[in-house]
Amino acid sequence: MKPSSSKNTNPVWAFFSSVRLAVFLLITLAVTSIAGTIIPQGQPLDFYKDQFSHTFFQIIRVLQLNDMYHAWWYLGLLGLFSLNLIVCTVKRLPFTLRLLRKDNLSLTSHRLRKMPFRHEWKTRGKVDASAIKPLLEAGKTRLPESQVDGGRLFLAEKGKWSHWGLYILHSSILVIFAGALTGSFAGFKGNIMLLEGESTDHIVDASRSKQIPLGFSIRCDKFSVSFYDTGAPREFKSDLAVLEGGNEVLKKSIVVNDPLEYKGISFYQSSYQAVPQVTVRFHRKDGTREDIVLSAFQRISWPAARLTLGLMQYLPSFNGVPAARIWLADSEGKTRALWLLKGNEKIYTQDDEQFSISLIGASQSYMTGLQVKKDPGVWIVWLGCTLLIFGFGIVFWVPHQTKWLWIGEKDGNTIVILAGQTNKNKIHFEKEFHKTEQAIESVLGVK
Amino acid sequence: MHKFLFQLTVLIYFVSTAGFLVHVVTLRKDVERVATSVLTGGFVLHTVAVLWRWWAAGHPPFVNLHDALSSLAWAIVGVFLLFQMRYRIKSLGAFVTPVALCTIAASSLQPKEILPLPPVLKSAWLPFHAAICLLSYAVFVLAFCAAVMYLMQEREIKMKRLGGIFKRLPSLQSIDAMNKRCLTVGFTLLTIGIVTGSIWAEQAWGEYWSWDPKETWSLITWFLYAALLHQRITIGWRGRKVAIMTIVAFATLVFTFLGVSLILPGAHSYASWFK
Repeated sequence: MKPSSSKNTNPVWAFFSSVRLAVFLLITLAVTSIAGTIIPQGQPLDFYKDQFSHTFFQIIRVLQLNDMYHAWWYLGLLGLFSLNLIVCTVKRLPFTLRLLRKDNLSLTSHRLRKMPFRHEWKTRGKVDASAIKPLLEAGKTRLPESQVDGGRLFLAEKGKWSHWGLYILHSSILVIFAGALTGSFAGFKGNIMLLEGESTDHIVDASRSKQIPLGFSIRCDKFSVSFYDTGAPREFKSDLAVLEGGNEVLKKSIVVNDPLEYKGISFYQSSYQAVPQVTVRFHRKDGTREDIVLSAFQRISWPAARLTLGLMQYLPSFNGVPAARIWLADSEGKTRALWLLKGNEKIYTQDDEQFSISLIGASQSYMTGLQVKKDPGVWIVWLGCTLLIFGFGIVFWVPHQTKWLWIGEKDGNTIVILAGQTNKNKIHFEKEFHKTEQAIESVLGVK
Repeated sequence: MHKFLFQLTVLIYFVSTAGFLVHVVTLRKDVERVATSVLTGGFVLHTVAVLWRWWAAGHPPFVNLHDALSSLAWAIVGVFLLFQMRYRIKSLGAFVTPVALCTIAASSLQPKEILPLPPVLKSAWLPFHAAICLLSYAVFVLAFCAAVMYLMQEREIKMKRLGGIFKRLPSLQSIDAMNKRCLTVGFTLLTIGIVTGSIWAEQAWGEYWSWDPKETWSLITWFLYAALLHQRITIGWRGRKVAIMTIVAFATLVFTFLGVSLILPGAHSYASWFK
């Protein structure tokens, strides 16, 4: 079945409407896609400068092989592919419409005799059409009928709609592309790291490195990780809370494969980091004391002493003793770093006040790594995938089958013709046709 | 116990493969019948072994190379038996069973210990995604065997040697029909496999497509099979060209299954999961 040659002989149109172009593009996409699985993707340009020779680096730079699946030429190929798909579809459409409009009830008996499947009976007796008609389509008694060649023609047709399967299949690819484009223009992606108890109302976009407000706050209440005996992680879990105007509106524990979604933004458990935490004791001269907990990646202010503090480094065992390096900044911003060994005191003076500082304990807390994303196009992609799979089902397995039964007279004899055709699965149709043939034969009582 | 069943399966597949090869040489019908029965028995045993291992591990047996290869061999034998029940292609067993035997032999050489499941693989999608992909691979193995048979048979006909090999292989027409059937089923399964992987990736990482090497290679394979189907159906390629292209696409598929997991880094790398 080839679409009849169009009157439109515009060479550009002819180029884009050829299936050969589609095959060429599919193979080109396949071959070029290999590059991105060999050359590491998404690294800074300097990485490639170090790794590859000068010439090869230039090729990588010009062809954007560092991010090739988003490079101008790769997207160009996909664009060309889409255009090809659309033009091929448009070109085919009139052919399909003609096929669907074709009147299968105006066929002459002569044409029926030329069908791929046919059988003819001749009998002297009268033939009761109402007795053999239901045999054409398992028990169906009401069949479309017409008068042709002085006889009655009955039609049993199914799966005519399956011709649309091809259009469903091909447009599904475009639907998937549309979903991907929607996601890349109307969505965002980024990572956040949250300490237990910490919250944020914005994220930093992974590609454009700009801040994106979430419109609400997300807080990590607790993070936990469990391990197998082998030491490999078994599960990591974050207890998250969504806050709007300071009120908790949603709480959920998330693990890998089970994200939290709120207002179209999803939070995925992606990683975690162990964060050391130390307790430092400050002794004043007057005998009063204060214990302060310091975590890495966090600054603690202690207004009473006009100090800001932070943890720089933690060593669980320095010659067998835990050690921590902390920094202190006074109200004027002058900073100092101190090494503290457990069991050893250090004297620190600020203005006229003197502290003796000691490390009294260390523990570990966690920071949860969340992948955050908004993708309004994702349901369009799923729609496209569904159409794609249904499209395959229709195109490959739903046949358009037609059976005709003509009953007429010739030279005083009654002629009965059974004819049929199918566009798919001829073996199965042949069996079915043969069954109909035998059923009619047993009613007619002739060979 | 499942390890013993597995070893027994390897042995039975070996016996059955030998049977199919003997049949192809001697053309004795009874040998083929026995080989098919032995293979069916081996398949049942293999099914029990796989399910047993599933139960023993507490997770679907697809996540390390031993299990993936064993399940693939299971799928190849299953698809072959099913296909032969319907179509009965002459001498097909002599081409398919050696592939299944090599697959299960490779599987038996891999470390067999059951390792606990990393968090990312703990998903209801794991059995569906992996099983559908392996089934599609198995169907493409059949398409590949058909292509090899086609090229052999065509060579005999061209050289007008209508003797030994010619008599033992099916007609070009029926091999070509088999190629088409396998391509449509395999391609649909491959598509469903990629889509289920995509849905899972969206759930696990928030990214339905991240151009990870496995994803990219499966897409490359998909492109090639898509090109092949268009050549077949629309451009009207038949026979030889299609057979060669089927073999090329199959080589890509093998790389997607094994090469990517063993050589390239990424989420499907068997090496990196358990480090």
